Amino acid sequence: MVALVVAAAACSADPAVPSNREPIPSLTVSEFETLLGSADQPLVVNVWASWCLPCRSEASLFRSAHVEFGDRIRFVGIDVRDSQAGGLAFLNEFGIVYENYFDPEGAIPAELGGFGVPLTYFFAAGGDRLFLQSGVIDERTLALQIDELLASP
Amino acid sequence: MEFTLLWQAGLGIVATVIVARTQNRRVVVEPGVDLGDRLVGAAVAGLVAGRITAMILQGVNPILRPADILVVRGGVHTGAATMAALASLAWGLRHNLWRNLDAAAPAALAGLAGWHAGCVFRDACLGAASSLPWALAQSGSTISRHPVEIYAAGLYALAATASLLMGRGWRPGVLAGFAIAVAGGIRLVTQPLRPSIGGGPVGWYLAGVVAGIGISAWNRVRTAQAR
Repeated sequence: MVALVVAAAACSADPAVPSNREPIPSLTVSEFETLLGSADQPLVVNVWASWCLPCRSEASLFRSAHVEFGDRIRFVGIDVRDSQAGGLAFLNEFGIVYENYFDPEGAIPAELGGFGVPLTYFFAAGGDRLFLQSGVIDERTLALQIDELLASP
Repeated sequence: MEFTLLWQAGLGIVATVIVARTQNRRVVVEPGVDLGDRLVGAAVAGLVAGRITAMILQGVNPILRPADILVVRGGVHTGAATMAALASLAWGLRHNLWRNLDAAAPAALAGLAGWHAGCVFRDACLGAASSLPWALAQSGSTISRHPVEIYAAGLYALAATASLLMGRGWRPGVLAGFAIAVAGGIRLVTQPLRPSIGGGPVGWYLAGVVAGIGISAWNRVRTAQAR
Protein backbone atom coordinates (compact mmCIF):
# COMPACT_ATOMS: atom_id res chain seq x y z
CA MET A 1 0.00 0.00 0.00
CA VAL A 2 2.79 2.42 0.97
CA ALA A 3 4.74 1.52 -2.17
CA LEU A 4 1.65 2.11 -4.30
CA VAL A 5 1.00 5.50 -2.74
CA VAL A 6 4.64 6.58 -3.19
CA ALA A 7 4.67 5.42 -6.79
CA ALA A 8 1.40 7.18 -7.57
CA ALA A 9 2.57 10.34 -5.82
CA ALA A 10 5.77 10.37 -7.83
CA CYS A 11 3.66 10.26 -10.99
CA SER A 12 1.20 12.96 -9.91
CA ALA A 13 1.40 16.50 -11.15
CA ASP A 14 4.37 18.63 -10.21
CA PRO A 15 3.53 22.17 -9.08
CA ALA A 16 6.25 23.71 -11.26
CA VAL A 17 4.32 23.24 -14.49
CA PRO A 18 5.56 25.67 -17.14
CA SER A 19 3.03 28.37 -17.88
CA ASN A 20 1.86 28.84 -21.45
CA ARG A 21 -0.96 31.28 -20.71
CA GLU A 22 -1.42 34.99 -21.00
CA PRO A 23 -0.99 36.90 -17.71
CA ILE A 24 -4.05 36.80 -15.44
CA PRO A 25 -5.95 40.06 -16.11
CA SER A 26 -6.20 42.53 -13.25
CA LEU A 27 -9.59 43.51 -11.87
CA THR A 28 -10.43 46.50 -9.66
CA VAL A 29 -13.24 46.67 -7.12
CA SER A 30 -15.36 48.89 -9.38
CA GLU A 31 -14.81 46.59 -12.35
CA PHE A 32 -15.84 43.63 -10.20
CA GLU A 33 -19.00 45.46 -9.10
CA THR A 34 -19.81 46.13 -12.74
CA LEU A 35 -19.24 42.45 -13.52
CA LEU A 36 -21.61 41.48 -10.72
CA GLY A 37 -24.31 43.96 -11.66
CA SER A 38 -24.32 42.96 -15.29
CA ALA A 39 -24.33 39.22 -14.65
CA ASP A 40 -27.28 37.53 -16.33
CA GLN A 41 -26.36 34.18 -14.76
CA PRO A 42 -25.74 33.22 -11.12
CA LEU A 43 -22.09 33.48 -10.14
CA VAL A 44 -19.72 31.41 -8.05
CA VAL A 45 -16.71 33.52 -7.13
CA ASN A 46 -13.74 31.69 -5.67
CA VAL A 47 -10.99 33.76 -4.02
CA TRP A 48 -7.71 31.85 -4.01
CA ALA A 49 -3.93 32.11 -3.99
CA SER A 50 -1.27 29.70 -5.22
CA TRP A 51 0.45 29.64 -1.81
CA CYS A 52 -2.77 28.70 0.02
CA LEU A 53 -2.87 24.97 0.89
CA PRO A 54 -6.67 24.62 1.21
CA CYS A 55 -7.07 26.41 -2.15
CA ARG A 56 -5.13 23.58 -3.74
CA SER A 57 -7.47 21.01 -2.22
CA GLU A 58 -10.59 22.64 -3.62
CA ALA A 59 -9.22 23.61 -7.05
CA SER A 60 -10.10 20.36 -8.79
CA LEU A 61 -13.58 20.49 -7.25
CA PHE A 62 -14.20 23.87 -8.90
CA ARG A 63 -12.85 22.52 -12.18
CA SER A 64 -15.34 19.61 -12.00
CA ALA A 65 -18.19 21.92 -10.99
CA HIS A 66 -17.40 24.22 -13.92
CA VAL A 67 -17.51 21.27 -16.31
CA GLU A 68 -20.91 20.18 -14.93
CA PHE A 69 -22.62 23.53 -14.35
CA GLY A 70 -20.63 25.99 -16.47
CA ASP A 71 -23.48 26.40 -18.95
CA ARG A 72 -25.86 27.62 -16.23
CA ILE A 73 -23.54 29.27 -13.73
CA ARG A 74 -20.67 31.67 -14.29
CA PHE A 75 -17.53 30.64 -12.42
CA VAL A 76 -15.03 33.39 -11.58
CA GLY A 77 -11.71 33.01 -9.81
CA ILE A 78 -9.86 35.87 -8.10
CA ASP A 79 -6.19 35.33 -7.36
CA VAL A 80 -5.23 37.51 -4.39
CA ARG A 81 -1.92 38.52 -2.76
CA ASP A 82 -0.06 36.37 -5.24
CA SER A 83 2.48 36.60 -8.03
CA GLN A 84 1.52 36.26 -11.68
CA ALA A 85 3.94 33.34 -12.04
CA GLY A 86 2.48 31.54 -9.03
CA GLY A 87 -1.09 32.14 -10.16
CA LEU A 88 -0.45 30.97 -13.72
CA ALA A 89 1.35 27.84 -12.51
CA PHE A 90 -1.65 27.08 -10.25
CA LEU A 91 -4.16 27.48 -13.09
CA ASN A 92 -2.06 25.30 -15.39
CA GLU A 93 -1.48 22.67 -12.73
CA PHE A 94 -5.20 22.20 -12.06
CA GLY A 95 -6.37 22.75 -15.64
CA ILE A 96 -8.69 25.60 -14.67
CA VAL A 97 -10.13 27.26 -17.77
CA TYR A 98 -12.91 29.48 -16.41
CA GLU A 99 -12.29 33.21 -16.10
CA ASN A 100 -9.78 34.30 -13.48
CA TYR A 101 -8.64 37.74 -12.37
CA PHE A 102 -5.63 39.07 -10.51
CA ASP A 103 -6.09 41.18 -7.38
CA PRO A 104 -2.62 41.52 -5.78
CA GLU A 105 -3.85 43.72 -2.92
CA GLY A 106 -6.86 41.57 -2.09
CA ALA A 107 -9.09 44.64 -2.48
CA ILE A 108 -12.10 42.75 -3.85
CA PRO A 109 -12.58 40.31 -0.95
CA ALA A 110 -11.82 43.16 1.46
CA GLU A 111 -14.68 45.14 -0.11
CA LEU A 112 -16.97 42.10 0.03
CA GLY A 113 -16.25 41.56 3.71
CA GLY A 114 -14.29 38.33 3.45
CA PHE A 115 -11.20 37.48 5.45
CA GLY A 116 -8.35 35.19 4.41
CA VAL A 117 -8.34 32.59 1.65
CA PRO A 118 -10.00 30.58 0.31
CA LEU A 119 -13.37 32.29 0.13
CA THR A 120 -16.29 31.32 -2.06
CA TYR A 121 -19.14 33.72 -2.76
CA PHE A 122 -22.43 32.70 -4.33
CA PHE A 123 -24.30 35.47 -6.15
CA ALA A 124 -27.71 35.37 -7.81
CA ALA A 125 -28.00 36.83 -11.30
CA GLY A 126 -27.86 40.58 -10.88
CA GLY A 127 -25.37 40.42 -8.04
CA ASP A 128 -27.29 39.67 -4.82
CA ARG A 129 -25.04 37.71 -2.50
CA LEU A 130 -26.70 34.52 -1.25
CA PHE A 131 -23.91 32.75 0.61
CA LEU A 132 -20.28 33.05 1.64
CA GLN A 133 -18.11 30.05 2.46
CA SER A 134 -15.05 31.08 4.47
CA GLY A 135 -12.30 28.50 4.27
CA VAL A 136 -12.08 25.41 2.13
CA ILE A 137 -15.36 24.29 0.60
CA ASP A 138 -16.34 20.64 0.43
CA GLU A 139 -18.22 18.92 -2.38
CA ARG A 140 -21.49 18.76 -0.46
CA THR A 141 -21.54 22.48 0.33
CA LEU A 142 -20.58 23.48 -3.19
CA ALA A 143 -23.21 21.22 -4.74
CA LEU A 144 -25.91 22.39 -2.31
CA GLN A 145 -25.18 26.07 -2.84
CA ILE A 146 -25.13 25.60 -6.61
CA ASP A 147 -28.55 23.95 -6.28
CA GLU A 148 -29.74 26.99 -4.29
CA LEU A 149 -28.35 29.30 -6.99
CA LEU A 150 -30.09 27.40 -9.77
CA ALA A 151 -33.39 27.57 -7.86
CA SER A 152 -33.05 31.28 -7.10
CA PRO A 153 -35.26 33.63 -9.13
CA MET B 1 -8.52 23.60 11.55
CA GLU B 2 -11.88 22.01 10.86
CA PHE B 3 -13.44 21.70 14.31
CA THR B 4 -16.96 20.86 13.13
CA LEU B 5 -15.59 17.88 11.23
CA LEU B 6 -13.79 16.82 14.40
CA TRP B 7 -17.06 16.96 16.32
CA GLN B 8 -18.73 14.87 13.65
CA ALA B 9 -15.90 12.34 13.73
CA GLY B 10 -16.07 12.38 17.53
CA LEU B 11 -19.72 11.31 17.51
CA GLY B 12 -18.85 8.44 15.20
CA ILE B 13 -16.01 7.36 17.49
CA VAL B 14 -18.19 7.56 20.62
CA ALA B 15 -20.89 5.41 18.99
CA THR B 16 -18.27 2.91 17.83
CA VAL B 17 -16.58 2.62 21.21
CA ILE B 18 -19.84 2.25 23.16
CA VAL B 19 -21.05 -0.65 21.01
CA ALA B 20 -17.55 -2.16 20.80
CA ARG B 21 -17.31 -2.26 24.59
CA THR B 22 -20.63 -4.08 24.73
CA GLN B 23 -19.35 -6.54 22.16
CA ASN B 24 -16.05 -6.99 24.00
CA ARG B 25 -18.06 -8.19 26.98
CA ARG B 26 -20.74 -10.25 25.30
CA VAL B 27 -18.87 -11.86 22.40
CA VAL B 28 -15.83 -14.07 22.81
CA VAL B 29 -12.99 -12.05 21.34
CA GLU B 30 -9.38 -13.12 21.66
CA PRO B 31 -7.64 -11.86 24.82
CA GLY B 32 -6.04 -8.45 24.53
CA VAL B 33 -8.12 -7.39 21.53
CA ASP B 34 -10.23 -4.27 22.01
CA LEU B 35 -12.67 -3.96 19.13
CA GLY B 36 -13.06 -0.22 19.68
CA ASP B 37 -9.31 0.38 19.35
CA ARG B 38 -9.12 -1.72 16.22
CA LEU B 39 -12.11 0.01 14.61
CA VAL B 40 -10.94 3.53 15.40
CA GLY B 41 -7.44 2.64 14.17
CA ALA B 42 -8.96 1.27 10.95
CA ALA B 43 -10.98 4.46 10.50
CA VAL B 44 -7.84 6.60 10.86
CA ALA B 45 -5.94 4.37 8.40
CA GLY B 46 -8.83 4.68 5.95
CA LEU B 47 -9.00 8.44 6.35
CA VAL B 48 -5.29 8.89 5.63
CA ALA B 49 -5.27 6.49 2.67
CA GLY B 50 -8.45 8.03 1.25
CA ARG B 51 -7.13 11.56 1.62
CA ILE B 52 -3.78 10.73 -0.01
CA THR B 53 -5.54 8.96 -2.88
CA ALA B 54 -7.88 11.93 -3.38
CA MET B 55 -4.88 14.29 -3.45
CA ILE B 56 -3.13 12.18 -6.08
CA LEU B 57 -6.26 12.06 -8.22
CA GLN B 58 -6.63 15.85 -7.81
CA GLY B 59 -3.07 16.31 -9.07
CA VAL B 60 -1.58 17.29 -5.71
CA ASN B 61 1.63 15.43 -4.84
CA PRO B 62 1.39 14.30 -1.18
CA ILE B 63 5.16 13.93 -0.91
CA LEU B 64 5.80 17.49 -2.04
CA ARG B 65 2.83 18.86 -0.09
CA PRO B 66 2.35 16.67 3.00
CA ALA B 67 0.50 19.40 4.90
CA ASP B 68 -2.36 19.10 2.39
CA ILE B 69 -3.17 15.70 3.91
CA LEU B 70 -4.66 17.55 6.89
CA VAL B 71 -7.16 19.40 4.68
CA VAL B 72 -9.63 16.53 4.75
CA ARG B 73 -12.44 18.77 3.58
CA GLY B 74 -10.66 18.87 0.23
CA GLY B 75 -11.85 15.30 -0.34
CA VAL B 76 -11.36 11.71 0.77
CA HIS B 77 -11.52 8.92 -1.80
CA THR B 78 -14.31 6.56 -0.76
CA GLY B 79 -12.95 3.39 -2.33
CA ALA B 80 -9.37 3.78 -1.10
CA ALA B 81 -10.55 4.76 2.37
CA THR B 82 -12.87 1.77 2.65
CA MET B 83 -10.30 -0.73 1.40
CA ALA B 84 -7.58 0.63 3.66
CA ALA B 85 -9.91 0.58 6.67
CA LEU B 86 -11.00 -3.00 5.97
CA ALA B 87 -7.40 -4.09 5.40
CA SER B 88 -6.29 -2.45 8.64
CA LEU B 89 -9.18 -4.04 10.55
CA ALA B 90 -8.53 -7.47 9.04
CA TRP B 91 -4.84 -7.22 9.96
CA GLY B 92 -5.68 -6.19 13.52
CA LEU B 93 -8.13 -9.08 13.94
CA ARG B 94 -6.28 -11.64 11.81
CA HIS B 95 -5.84 -14.33 14.48
CA ASN B 96 -9.54 -15.15 14.53
CA LEU B 97 -10.54 -13.13 11.51
CA TRP B 98 -14.15 -13.95 10.76
CA ARG B 99 -15.40 -14.29 14.35
CA ASN B 100 -13.71 -11.01 15.26
CA LEU B 101 -15.05 -9.23 12.18
CA ASP B 102 -18.53 -10.48 13.05
CA ALA B 103 -18.11 -9.09 16.56
CA ALA B 104 -16.91 -5.76 15.17
CA ALA B 105 -19.76 -5.41 12.65
CA PRO B 106 -22.40 -3.83 14.97
CA ALA B 107 -19.87 -1.33 16.31
CA ALA B 108 -18.76 -0.37 12.79
CA LEU B 109 -22.38 0.21 11.75
CA ALA B 110 -23.04 2.20 14.93
CA GLY B 111 -19.98 4.31 14.14
CA LEU B 112 -21.34 5.06 10.68
CA ALA B 113 -24.67 6.01 12.28
CA GLY B 114 -22.85 8.40 14.63
CA TRP B 115 -20.79 9.89 11.79
CA HIS B 116 -23.89 10.61 9.70
CA ALA B 117 -25.85 11.95 12.70
CA GLY B 118 -22.87 14.24 13.36
CA CYS B 119 -23.95 16.27 10.34
CA VAL B 120 -25.86 18.41 12.85
CA PHE B 121 -22.55 19.85 14.10
CA ARG B 122 -21.69 21.05 10.59
CA ASP B 123 -25.18 22.09 9.46
CA ALA B 124 -24.64 19.55 6.70
CA CYS B 125 -27.64 17.24 6.92
CA LEU B 126 -29.71 18.48 4.00
CA GLY B 127 -29.90 17.15 0.47
CA ALA B 128 -32.27 17.26 -2.47
CA ALA B 129 -35.25 19.61 -2.50
CA SER B 130 -38.45 18.11 -1.13
CA SER B 131 -42.01 19.14 -0.29
CA LEU B 132 -42.47 16.40 2.31
CA PRO B 133 -43.72 17.67 5.68
CA TRP B 134 -40.48 16.86 7.52
CA ALA B 135 -38.25 18.55 4.93
CA LEU B 136 -36.11 21.37 6.30
CA ALA B 137 -34.69 24.54 4.80
CA GLN B 138 -31.18 25.73 5.52
CA SER B 139 -30.85 29.12 7.14
CA GLY B 140 -31.51 31.95 4.69
CA SER B 141 -33.21 29.69 2.17
CA THR B 142 -36.83 29.06 1.26
CA ILE B 143 -36.12 25.67 -0.33
CA SER B 144 -37.08 22.71 1.86
CA ARG B 145 -34.80 19.70 1.59
CA HIS B 146 -34.57 16.06 2.62
CA PRO B 147 -32.52 15.63 5.82
CA VAL B 148 -30.65 12.91 3.93
CA GLU B 149 -27.85 12.39 6.43
CA ILE B 150 -30.41 11.85 9.20
CA TYR B 151 -32.07 9.22 6.99
CA ALA B 152 -28.68 7.54 6.58
CA ALA B 153 -27.97 7.76 10.33
CA GLY B 154 -31.34 6.16 11.11
CA LEU B 155 -30.78 3.35 8.64
CA TYR B 156 -27.28 2.66 10.00
CA ALA B 157 -28.66 2.65 13.56
CA LEU B 158 -31.31 0.14 12.48
CA ALA B 159 -28.66 -2.02 10.80
CA ALA B 160 -26.43 -1.85 13.90
CA THR B 161 -29.37 -2.91 16.08
CA ALA B 162 -30.28 -5.72 13.70
CA SER B 163 -26.70 -7.03 13.64
CA LEU B 164 -26.61 -6.94 17.45
CA LEU B 165 -29.86 -8.90 17.61
CA MET B 166 -28.65 -11.39 14.99
CA GLY B 167 -26.03 -12.35 17.56
CA ARG B 168 -23.76 -15.35 17.32
CA GLY B 169 -26.04 -17.87 15.70
CA TRP B 170 -24.56 -17.30 12.28
CA ARG B 171 -21.66 -19.00 10.62
CA PRO B 172 -18.37 -17.08 10.90
CA GLY B 173 -18.08 -14.22 8.42
CA VAL B 174 -21.75 -14.05 7.46
CA LEU B 175 -22.46 -11.10 9.77
CA ALA B 176 -19.32 -9.25 8.61
CA GLY B 177 -20.42 -9.63 4.99
CA PHE B 178 -23.90 -8.43 5.91
CA ALA B 179 -22.41 -5.32 7.51
CA ILE B 180 -20.27 -4.51 4.45
CA ALA B 181 -23.25 -4.98 2.13
CA VAL B 182 -25.50 -2.83 4.32
CA ALA B 183 -22.84 -0.11 4.68
CA GLY B 184 -22.58 0.19 0.90
CA GLY B 185 -26.31 -0.26 0.36
CA ILE B 186 -27.36 2.57 2.67
CA ARG B 187 -24.98 4.99 0.97
CA LEU B 188 -26.23 3.73 -2.39
CA VAL B 189 -29.94 4.26 -1.68
CA THR B 190 -29.44 7.68 -0.09
CA GLN B 191 -26.98 8.96 -2.70
CA PRO B 192 -29.65 10.30 -5.11
CA LEU B 193 -30.78 12.63 -2.30
CA ARG B 194 -27.24 13.79 -1.49
CA PRO B 195 -25.78 16.95 -3.08
CA SER B 196 -22.76 16.05 -5.18
CA ILE B 197 -20.72 17.08 -8.18
CA GLY B 198 -20.81 14.32 -10.78
CA GLY B 199 -23.15 11.94 -8.95
CA GLY B 200 -20.82 10.66 -6.22
CA PRO B 201 -18.96 7.33 -5.90
CA VAL B 202 -21.98 5.15 -6.70
CA GLY B 203 -19.77 2.47 -8.26
CA TRP B 204 -17.87 2.03 -5.00
CA TYR B 205 -21.11 1.73 -3.01
CA LEU B 206 -22.40 -0.88 -5.43
CA ALA B 207 -19.07 -2.71 -5.20
CA GLY B 208 -19.49 -2.74 -1.40
CA VAL B 209 -22.93 -4.30 -1.68
CA VAL B 210 -21.73 -6.98 -4.09
CA ALA B 211 -18.57 -7.68 -2.04
CA GLY B 212 -20.55 -7.93 1.19
CA ILE B 213 -23.09 -10.34 -0.27
CA GLY B 214 -20.22 -12.33 -1.78
CA ILE B 215 -18.38 -12.53 1.54
CA SER B 216 -21.51 -13.70 3.34
CA ALA B 217 -22.31 -16.32 0.71
CA TRP B 218 -18.71 -17.54 0.49
CA ASN B 219 -18.42 -17.92 4.25
CA ARG B 220 -21.74 -19.74 4.41
CA VAL B 221 -20.65 -22.23 1.75
CA ARG B 222 -17.10 -22.52 3.13
CA THR B 223 -18.21 -23.30 6.67
CA ALA B 224 -20.96 -25.67 5.47
CA GLN B 225 -18.39 -27.68 3.52
CA ALA B 226 -16.07 -27.77 6.54
CA ARG B 227 -18.71 -29.48 8.66
